[in-house]
Amino acid sequence: MGMLNLVLTNISRKPATRLYPFEIREPFKEFKGRIVFDPENCILCGLCQKKCPPDAITVTKADKTWELNLFRCIMCTECVNGCPKGCLSISNERAKTGAKEVIKIAVPIVDKPKAPKAAPSK
Amino acid sequence: MTTVIPFGPQHPVLPEPVSLKLEIDDDVVVGVLPSLGYVHRGLETFINTKDFNQTTYVCERICGICSALHGITYTRTVEKLFDTEIPERAQYIRVIVGELNRLHSHLLWLGLFADGFGFESLFYECWKYREEVLDVAERICGNRVIHSISKVGGVTRDLTKEHIDMLLKMCDSLETEIKNIEKVFVNNYTVKQRLVGLATLSKQVAYEVGTAGPTLRGSGNAIDVRETPDWDIYKDLGFKTAVEKDGDCYARTKVRITELLNSLTIIRNAISKMPEGEIEVRVKGFPTGEAIMRTEQPRGEVIYYVKGNGTKKLERLKVRTPTFANIPSLLLMLPGVKLADVPIVVLTIDPCVSCTER
Ligand code: SF4
Ligand code: SF4
Repeated sequence: MGMLNLVLTNISRKPATRLYPFEIREPFKEFKGRIVFDPENCILCGLCQKKCPPDAITVTKADKTWELNLFRCIMCTECVNGCPKGCLSISNERAKTGAKEVIKIAVPIVDKPKAPKAAPSK
Repeated sequence: MTTVIPFGPQHPVLPEPVSLKLEIDDDVVVGVLPSLGYVHRGLETFINTKDFNQTTYVCERICGICSALHGITYTRTVEKLFDTEIPERAQYIRVIVGELNRLHSHLLWLGLFADGFGFESLFYECWKYREEVLDVAERICGNRVIHSISKVGGVTRDLTKEHIDMLLKMCDSLETEIKNIEKVFVNNYTVKQRLVGLATLSKQVAYEVGTAGPTLRGSGNAIDVRETPDWDIYKDLGFKTAVEKDGDCYARTKVRITELLNSLTIIRNAISKMPEGEIEVRVKGFPTGEAIMRTEQPRGEVIYYVKGNGTKKLERLKVRTPTFANIPSLLLMLPGVKLADVPIVVLTIDPCVSCTER
């Protein structure tokens, strides 16, 4: 008897599902969608690489590049919390399917002139 | 004369690969030989390459359904190793997320179970309700299934006022919905005809072979880790262990439905009791020694053992999962059951094979 009631109420209800590719639900604002990297402030310290559990990030000091392997990233946000310069953030947009596997971003780090050595005290 | 029939590892009813060799006499099972090992991933050895913070994420991937509770148990074990006390608010958040986990696991199971005895519309109904829980979990933790809320020393995200309103709203709507499907599972003629008196496990036998979780409680043993001093935060959250006496498939189903309602009570009480304050503490140093901790998962009691050796990596991690404990009782339940009922009986222990093999 219980099931008949459920079936009758479901007939008069609007569908529980969405016509997916045509109707896309807005992502929730708390959703962890993908990692966004802002190369401006990065100092290539490599902390994010050290913290990342599945080794998705590679920081190469020699070529000044920051690399993220999208297929490896598990959206744990350890790198976001660990970055001292705040150049990593998380966006609630879903990563597009068929995205490139690796994003490689050049970091425009300027070689600062070395600070002159302090004069030896007498 | 007996015939041997293979059941699994791939079977329409089984969500995960477990292979049983059934010895059949006429139409009745007389003997069972299980074989496991299809999804072994070597996670317990893999943690030797990760530090103890990163291991949390490895542990969460032991099982997709009870992921948050695996993470919570692991962090609680490591906190015991560190001898750290985490803030009370973090403990309450863990309880709330853990109960969300239990809600969606049990609703998933009820759906699969209904599908197992051929009640498709009930299957869709259960999974529709599960979706509400997943949406709430997505908003609280950022992910739908792998919640990643727990970390060594606390939790990663705080609950805002908005989240709490949403949780309370979900509790209200789920309560009426669960009561609706409870009527179907408990009173429906077809369901009763299939389940009552099927694969009975007596109280004494269930206790002796070390059964865990709803299977144990369905046989009349009121044993639940949430009531023991091991997880004492639950003691004033006003829930009463769900127990049924009969020990058959029908009793185990009823236990799970009662646990759904219990979880809603726990979430409501946890929200009302949750204090303001910090959500994490910093843990320092590298631990030595051993620690062991247990937690009640949707499927039963899970036990974690860790051993630290003074470096940032753990020397050993050992997990004993509830399905592993339930397999001996499954082997005792199956003889005497008709071949057509085997899928239902296998499903009543809620097998989670990727947990068992890691
Ligand atoms: S992204 Fe942040 S943590 Fe990573 S190298 Fe750059 S500054 Fe360091
Ligand atoms: S979110 Fe986690 S897995 Fe992804 S890049 Fe950052 S640390 Fe690595």
